[in-house]
Amino acid sequence: MSRAFDLIVIGAGPAGGAAALAAARHGLSVGLIDEAAAAGGQIYRAPAPGMVMLSGKRDDDANAGDELRAALAASRVQAFYSHRVWTVARGFQVDAAGEDGHHSFCAPRVIAANGGHERLVPFPGWTLPGVIGLAAATILMKSQGMMPGGRVVVAGCGPLLMAVAAKIVSGGGDLVAVVDLAGPSDWISALPGLVRRCGLLRRGLGWILAIGKARVPIYFRHGVRAAEGSDRVARVVIGPVDRAGAPVVGSEKVFDVDMLVIGHGLVASSEVPRLLRAGMTYDRLLGGWVPDVDPCGRTSVEGLFAIGDGAGIRGAEPAAIAGAIAGLAAARDAGRIEAGAFDTSMTVFGRKRRSYHAFASAIGGLMALRPAQVAAIAPDTVVCRCEDVTRASIDAAARDGAADVNQLKHFTRCGMGPCQGRMCGDVAAELLARARSVPRQSVGYWTGRPPLRPLPLQDLVGTFSYSDIPIPSPAPL
Amino acid sequence: MSAPAATRLFGWQRGRPVRVAVDGVPLFAHEGEMLAAVLLAAGVVRLRSSPLDHAPRGAFCLMGLCQECLVRIDGVTRQACLVPVLDGLKVQLVAPYEQTP
Amino acid sequence: MSEPFDLIVVGGGVHGATVALFAARGGLRVALIERDQICRGASGVNAGTLTMQMTRVALIPYALQAHAMWASAQNWLGHDVGVVVCDGLSLAFTEAEEELLTFRAGKRRDAGAPISLVSGKRAQEIEPGLCDDVRVAGWCRVDGFANAYLTGLAYRRALVSAGVVLHEQQVVIGIDSGAMGYRVLTKNRVFIARRLVVASGVWIEPMLAWLGVHLPIKVLINQLSVTERIAPVMRTQVGIASGLLSLKQYSHGTVVIGGGWQGKGDRTSGQGDIVAGNVVGNIRLACHAIPALRRARLTRSWTGFEAETADALPAAGAIPGFPDAYVCGSVHSGYTSGPYIAKLLVERILGREPEMPLFPIDRLLASAAETKRKESAT
Repeated sequence: MSRAFDLIVIGAGPAGGAAALAAARHGLSVGLIDEAAAAGGQIYRAPAPGMVMLSGKRDDDANAGDELRAALAASRVQAFYSHRVWTVARGFQVDAAGEDGHHSFCAPRVIAANGGHERLVPFPGWTLPGVIGLAAATILMKSQGMMPGGRVVVAGCGPLLMAVAAKIVSGGGDLVAVVDLAGPSDWISALPGLVRRCGLLRRGLGWILAIGKARVPIYFRHGVRAAEGSDRVARVVIGPVDRAGAPVVGSEKVFDVDMLVIGHGLVASSEVPRLLRAGMTYDRLLGGWVPDVDPCGRTSVEGLFAIGDGAGIRGAEPAAIAGAIAGLAAARDAGRIEAGAFDTSMTVFGRKRRSYHAFASAIGGLMALRPAQVAAIAPDTVVCRCEDVTRASIDAAARDGAADVNQLKHFTRCGMGPCQGRMCGDVAAELLARARSVPRQSVGYWTGRPPLRPLPLQDLVGTFSYSDIPIPSPAPL
Repeated sequence: MSAPAATRLFGWQRGRPVRVAVDGVPLFAHEGEMLAAVLLAAGVVRLRSSPLDHAPRGAFCLMGLCQECLVRIDGVTRQACLVPVLDGLKVQLVAPYEQTP
Repeated sequence: MSEPFDLIVVGGGVHGATVALFAARGGLRVALIERDQICRGASGVNAGTLTMQMTRVALIPYALQAHAMWASAQNWLGHDVGVVVCDGLSLAFTEAEEELLTFRAGKRRDAGAPISLVSGKRAQEIEPGLCDDVRVAGWCRVDGFANAYLTGLAYRRALVSAGVVLHEQQVVIGIDSGAMGYRVLTKNRVFIARRLVVASGVWIEPMLAWLGVHLPIKVLINQLSVTERIAPVMRTQVGIASGLLSLKQYSHGTVVIGGGWQGKGDRTSGQGDIVAGNVVGNIRLACHAIPALRRARLTRSWTGFEAETADALPAAGAIPGFPDAYVCGSVHSGYTSGPYIAKLLVERILGREPEMPLFPIDRLLASAAETKRKESAT
């Protein structure tokens, strides 16, 4: 049996939450589905159940998260937390597995707000236990009240690098070094964009000051050459890189660590638009393949919207605005708002959103995949961690004639593992395009297929008896 | 088990203390904490092995995507970063020999 | 325009690729034209089942030969395609299924498949992973499976080695015949050859229509699912009496679930989608047969097209009215029997008598014409 709504929103982060609220405010019945136990996505992630921050300064993200959760609780949005959407069919039918079994939802409109996830450009030892992402460290600190390490090195690129380093320092962690692929000149050339959002820029400068005050060395224009250890990371080797991110000759430094926290930018989680075969475009600054959307977030699939980081990495504030716009547009499509009122709201939101453009581009530039860094991956380094597929195998598949990433998958099993190509996809495609000397777009993206995330068969089949199974008529003899 | 890879911060009120067993070994935790975080804090950093190279693997993304923090609970494979700890939780690590080559 | 070929094969699945391979080895200059990539359609995404117990009675002799080909693929294809030869079990859980299985196993045995009926208890000895509910099972030693996604890589290497000229990502938009032989048109090119094989699976119908030949081909949208790698839970290939389940575990630990449960799609768009309820039904059946599967996680479900003629038997033989033009496909369990049927066709193309009869399509054209006559009469 299917629960019917005017609108289903998949993902209850800043974008999805705002969309659900806006649509509900205009009288739509809204079903909001998220696999976490509470709304907030990753950036506004709630503390674990039973956890309350007693002391210390509550940061802006914690406050924004609490506001969002309170607003949703007070609204008429029907939230289904701890529910994992596993497939969406056109029309739309959304199937999800919850703690109490399998659920089906239907609506003429769906808003996909699946956020983004971290990308890591492989290096020897990147898969060692104790190597976690920048986003992962943020989750540990914000939602579990835990500091990474023992001794920690924080490395990679983008604003998240400094944010995490500063948070470790302010939490009293043992931060041994900060290692940034970017140099001060990269940050300075991003300045005109960053300066558009003074509050955010001030926050960023605050991070760098905090790190400096704690006398933690920052190695600009350096990358991690290797993580070493037997059962877990014990040492991190760093060395200088050039503007493009490729290693250059220079002295290496070795640090003893208990954890390496590292990330090389964010990738859009566009699995719902891809599953429904929406038109996609490859945009390096927006985190890879993103759905083609109109100003309201409508994709090329009728009734399907895509918003937030899942439609292109722009950060939390633009995500919330995009959410409000999409919620409004859904209400308009359902005939609940007059054209005039809609246009007025759109003008206001549009202006707000445009004010973030330059900032988002600047951040995108700092986080974009660096081709030279990918080119430097050694042949025997694992690229697809689920299936232990090395760079050498990818290059061999290219020589064997693999023309796109889906053929690469068939030739090597790269991308066939349980992470469904999320961790390796961007880098594997970059390597394939390079090996074939073709533009990045031409090697395409993984064909979207269900389940959207791996699903225990137990959760899918539930309790049943043999006679429940609607077996079709026998095949011909 | 080795040195902790995560340390609980002061200034937080947490759920009540509970016991979690990993391959029969009791670990300290608070009700509601993320199992993957509890394991890191207890120094259980290596969780399993990769399929071909049998290389050591453990939690990476902590948000349900990388599929590296797999453990067994009641015989079912689960992602430790998606499991909130309850009193008496029995966790089995997916031993290397379970991964077929 | 290119130099005329001796043979053009349209369609790079297992049928077309095998025809092209053996024809080239037989001395012909061959072009193979494929709309996507070699063996990326049904041939690359099917369940890889190599069983007699889901094979049509009339095809058993062919499937037995094809099974031997798959088992020795390393020799003639240069790649083992991950083939595992193992026992196969076809299960009956209810009285009705027991009746059905007993009847069908008997028919297949008469046709030459070494199938014997065993008790549920005996079936569990053969396959310890089985549930306790099995009443009776068909047991066949000539069974097993291939790793379908390896098919493309395997054939590509062999085709290139054999000197077949491959044209991939080329959608054929027309075929006609004239003084020079057959012309096959794509967006940018015209290919010419004296001989033609149409091996384009579900697209056989529209392509033969270009030649004025009306051969209805039904499009089945088969669903498949695969788990993550898990510890061994089964060691045979498992199906059920009605034929609506296939189940096997690969040496790398993943379990593939199939059986022909239908998704949604069409040949015009070339796209298929799963139907959630049918995926759940298929997987419930699998979990019923092998209970340990419940512990595993589903990592992917997908669809593939299967072609089916009106009598669900192959379209393999000459195209009436068109000398040196042939059709090869729509075999029903085409992956299982395909390589052998394609090989037989090459014998005919090279002017020899195939060692077993082909499946001329005249029978299908006659009945299609008859149906049309009846329809226009009413």
